Amino acid sequence: MDALLTAHNTLTTHANLSTTLTTVDHLIDLLQQTRDNIAGPPPNTAVSAPLQIAKLKGPIRQTFEKVEEDLKEVNKGLNGYQKAWKEKFKGKDGLGMEGSGESLGGGGGVGLGLGAGSGVASGGLAGQKGLVERAIAMHLLREGEFHVASTFVKEVSAQSRSRNSDGIEENHSWLDDFTTDSDNVDMEDEHLEDDYEDGELYGPEVMERGYLQRKFAEMYRILDALRNHHNLAPAIHWANIHSDELGARASNLEFELARLRFVELYTSSKSDPENMDDADPSFSGPIAALRYARTTFPSFHPRYTHEISALLGALAFSPSLPTSPYHTLFSQEPTRASIATLFTTSFTTLLALPSSPPLLTTTNAGALALPVLTKYSHILSRTRSSWTTSQELPVETPLPGSMNFHNIFVCPVSKEQGTEANWPVMLPCGHVLARESLEAHARGKGRCKCPYCPVEFRVEGGGKRVFI
Amino acid sequence: MAELISTKLDPDSHLLLDQPLLRLPHELLRKNLKSAQRHIEIANKGIATSIQTLTTHSSPADTLDALDATLLKAQTLKRKLKALHAEEATLHRQQKARIAHLQELHDIPTIADVKYDVWAQTRLDRLLVDYLLRQNYLASARQLAEAKGIVDLVDIPVFEECGRIEASLCGVHGEYGDVREALGWCAENKQALKKIGSILELELRLQQFIELARTDEMDKLMEAIAHARKHFVGGQDTLYGLRAGGVLAHAPDTMVEPYKTMYAPTRYPYLAALFLRTHHTLFALPAHPLLHTALSAGLSALKTPTCHSAHNPHRGMFSHQHSSDKTTSTMSRPSVPPLLTDTPVCPICSTELNELARGVPYAHHTKSYMEDDPVVLPNGRVFGRERLRGLNVKLGVPEGRVRDPTDGLGGAEWAWGEVRKVFIL
Ligand SMILES: [Zn+2]
Ligand SMILES: [Zn+2]
Repeated sequence: MDALLTAHNTLTTHANLSTTLTTVDHLIDLLQQTRDNIAGPPPNTAVSAPLQIAKLKGPIRQTFEKVEEDLKEVNKGLNGYQKAWKEKFKGKDGLGMEGSGESLGGGGGVGLGLGAGSGVASGGLAGQKGLVERAIAMHLLREGEFHVASTFVKEVSAQSRSRNSDGIEENHSWLDDFTTDSDNVDMEDEHLEDDYEDGELYGPEVMERGYLQRKFAEMYRILDALRNHHNLAPAIHWANIHSDELGARASNLEFELARLRFVELYTSSKSDPENMDDADPSFSGPIAALRYARTTFPSFHPRYTHEISALLGALAFSPSLPTSPYHTLFSQEPTRASIATLFTTSFTTLLALPSSPPLLTTTNAGALALPVLTKYSHILSRTRSSWTTSQELPVETPLPGSMNFHNIFVCPVSKEQGTEANWPVMLPCGHVLARESLEAHARGKGRCKCPYCPVEFRVEGGGKRVFI
Repeated sequence: MAELISTKLDPDSHLLLDQPLLRLPHELLRKNLKSAQRHIEIANKGIATSIQTLTTHSSPADTLDALDATLLKAQTLKRKLKALHAEEATLHRQQKARIAHLQELHDIPTIADVKYDVWAQTRLDRLLVDYLLRQNYLASARQLAEAKGIVDLVDIPVFEECGRIEASLCGVHGEYGDVREALGWCAENKQALKKIGSILELELRLQQFIELARTDEMDKLMEAIAHARKHFVGGQDTLYGLRAGGVLAHAPDTMVEPYKTMYAPTRYPYLAALFLRTHHTLFALPAHPLLHTALSAGLSALKTPTCHSAHNPHRGMFSHQHSSDKTTSTMSRPSVPPLLTDTPVCPICSTELNELARGVPYAHHTKSYMEDDPVVLPNGRVFGRERLRGLNVKLGVPEGRVRDPTDGLGGAEWAWGEVRKVFIL
């Protein structure tokens, strides 16, 4: 990167048009001076005009020669940058400097036929405009970019209408799910207030129009209150409504919110209107906290007992909390950030959506897999062989464990992955093979032996399908 | 489970998607320089001519006029150069922002670092804006770029111009397009187009010729011939001369190919596509959105046979029915709460990408990859023993009993004794 930076600095410091401009300024001055001389009072005028002009020719020529030099300098700067650039991206000729720009295209290059329109993988994304755009719309919603999402839905609708009128068929039926009404797609409106009371997540089999944007709008409203207005109430309200579902997932959200609220009350010195009768205002916070604790904490699961007693224990130290052993419980800022994350995760999980944006996870995985795929496709094109299995990638594209969402079964005999057609089968001894491997192994036999241990078993009914 | 690979970040191999990022400002700077050269050439010639016309016999008035003309040319040059210099400064600023963005990646040690999350998020935003621009969703692109603060990392003006010219060529609703803007673009990039041997301008000129020939008016036909003489002479152009001659010999309602096709309005979408290809080649832009490249690689790398399996309990939540009949588009909501597992929802299984990933190949694996201590329930489902135990505690299942957490509280319950160890090699 250093070479690039240096080259860039050369461009900004001197390899640019500023010197040329200065040179042209000189030219203008020269011309202006000559003109002033000629137009000026005699004896400069008539007599010396031709002379003045003649004297001009040389400097004009020199000026343009100088300009040429200046531009050469700019060009040199650009060449330097190009060189640094090439060096940096050497060997990535999938998109190389000399590339025709088509290297990423359907045929060769990075795509491995995954890209667009090549016959290898029927699922080339170029033909999936509708699905790609549906994913983008959902992504914008889950990112809280409601304004952009609304513009996007409008633009897609307009374009698809005009294409349809041109006879181009495109599947944009997903748009129906994203528009509440043709004339009202503004998702920023705060017309969702009543929806906030609607705790019902499951029920009707059909998702009504605008369902997702209402849900995400709700999520961002709660997050906004949480992050920017230090207002826990909407989050607590939401968590209460969804208490059962959260409980079924053993989510800590409700308790963490209660804990945060407790701390908030404890450390607030402002008098609560309810506590107006309190004599000493410095105790108003702890007393409000105590009241809150008494009404809220008893309903929590026994596994929180220890934390609850610690919180209440802190009450005894008021007002000298900073020196108490409990002060760490009260450092609010990290808690607030992590509770926002916890809330987002809980919210998306209840919608059966991944908590981190699938497009993000996927492009990250893509960035990790691309070098391998590119290298492989280069080898392919060099050896002029082709890759024929369209079901499975031809090379391993290792990802970090955090991007592993399923168990993976590879048959130890055939080295094939378990699939819908060739599923994993467990033998009586507990060893697992792919169905086809077992069939091949047991063909024509009444009894056979596990390939991996001494256990023998009857072929008939000897293997049981397992779901890994 | 162990990590499959080290999470150490190799920025150089990671930059595959980011090459065009640094490429385009550079190409535009080159174009800028060429424009400067052109203006200077014009000014140089013009000034020389003005001065040359003067002789020793010229009257003072003539001399002043000539000088004024010269001054005007110099000032025009200055104005043009100033605009180009401003453009240059903008491009330098973009370049700087982009280099800084890539530099950030070099300073992140592993992909497990939180800073990588932030960086990758910006990359995704870039890819999205690029996609929106390429599909001509310009307002969305601009809004997203501004919302995310990445205006200098994306190429809005380039695609705006490109989209405008493409649209003008296409024409609206089957009407004939207009080649003028595209020809203006060709003039601006004449040198570079020549260098790559582009036929775009010839094709556009041919279209102008076809439009003249389409009329039955004599003067238009004469104009057509003049047009052909002007534009289709010499070199590879003779081929176009021949084609032009052929067009002239056939009336617009001809059934003879290739002239029938040449008269057809479908030549406009063809020209639009040709323009787009030429444009992207000229500026070294990938022919397809990088989002497609990143997604198709990523979808495959993440995809497992399970993701589209009928036995996958995760799948089908909010599944989107696709059928030719548009009225049946519905997202079905699950009638039971989503399953209870403590694993994060797989992005490929999620409703957001499941359908999109259907056609791509799944990842290749050479060995099994299992949770620790796998056990199998009587219904055939395999779990890591500890995870199964933990989930059952959360479900409140009594000691010694076990449920399939996939089925939540609705499924069958067994004795732990029925849970068997399974050996996956
Ligand atoms: Zn065995
Ligand atoms: Zn999956």
